[in-house]
Amino acid sequence: MNTQDLSKLGAGFSEAAIGSQSVFRAALQALSYPGRVTALPHDAQTPSHGHSASAALLLALLDPDCTLWLSPALAGSDAAAWLRFHTGCVLVDAAADAQFAWVAQGDECPPLEDFAMGSETYPDQSATCVIDVEAFESGTSRGWTLRGPGIAGSTALAVHGLPGNDPAAFAAQWSANNAAFPRGVDLFLVAPREIVGLPRTTRIDNPTTMEA
Amino acid sequence: MFHAFDTKTDGRALDRAQWMAVLARAPLALIEPALGAHAHAEPRWLRAPETGLVMVQGRAGGTGERFNVGEVTVTRCALRLADVGGAVGVAYVLGRSHRQAQLAAVADALMQDPERQAALNAQLLVPVQRHLAEQRAQRHARAQSSKVEFFTVARESGGADEEEGEE
Repeated sequence: MNTQDLSKLGAGFSEAAIGSQSVFRAALQALSYPGRVTALPHDAQTPSHGHSASAALLLALLDPDCTLWLSPALAGSDAAAWLRFHTGCVLVDAAADAQFAWVAQGDECPPLEDFAMGSETYPDQSATCVIDVEAFESGTSRGWTLRGPGIAGSTALAVHGLPGNDPAAFAAQWSANNAAFPRGVDLFLVAPREIVGLPRTTRIDNPTTMEA
Repeated sequence: MFHAFDTKTDGRALDRAQWMAVLARAPLALIEPALGAHAHAEPRWLRAPETGLVMVQGRAGGTGERFNVGEVTVTRCALRLADVGGAVGVAYVLGRSHRQAQLAAVADALMQDPERQAALNAQLLVPVQRHLAEQRAQRHARAQSSKVEFFTVARESGGADEEEGEE
């Protein structure tokens, strides 16, 4: 039993069922249409560290059976206490043990293959990563061209503020993630108020186009 | 229903764990009037009251191996009071009464304000402790009425046989 200081803690969704269902709906929408920028409205009093939309997304997804890995800027912050209090999730120190991971903007993201990738028999036992980025720009020629299930033809997306500020390196990791199919992690890229889903089936066609 | 929390504190103020233990068992009829206007103010919920099951464990004789006694219904909540410097009150209360959990949490938040502590202690905690002690005495008396004393003829030290032999 560890005691935590509750005095700075914000409330969760004002209506737990309605709030988490509408966030879950947005998350489902984002994964169904990979690369599409999806608004994530919520009324939770999210912590000061990390993006508000990521906090609300994890608040909706986590429960006491889930393990969560936090990047250094978030571990030990009010975000960790907030998620522990409201969801009861288990915080783990090793990224490989986590079912969910949250990487703050500006933090290094561990290599994607370091997260749980699932097995050939149980590919569902892989990690879901929530990565905070600065902003999205959709329909731009300066970004990635995404293809795969859920995308009619192709869709264009530019992401600013990826971990390490190196979109090419990130895209290379992503194609390795694609190659491990059916194993692999699923991503949510999160701007302060919007999310983009990148399931493991989505391919990045032109990994080197996007500028940092 | 009586715990180590109830040991006499020799006039010292209760610490938070102790007053929370007292508040958790405070009947609504005592807690509601003692809180006055605070009982009717709309709290800012951190965690709205929710009822669930908690597994109670016991040890035979207080020292044996742990075993599961059974599940009990517990209602818990956490709230913040605007006028007590944002103090957070928490309550875990046996039973399903959301209202009781809410008021216990309100009282917990108020108790964290040093200025109100003494007054609340006198108005709320002391009467509740007295009520709990009375309850305990009644239960004790009821159990006492069914007590059976077994009289056995105590053997004198030495024993009758030996005495006979000596004679």
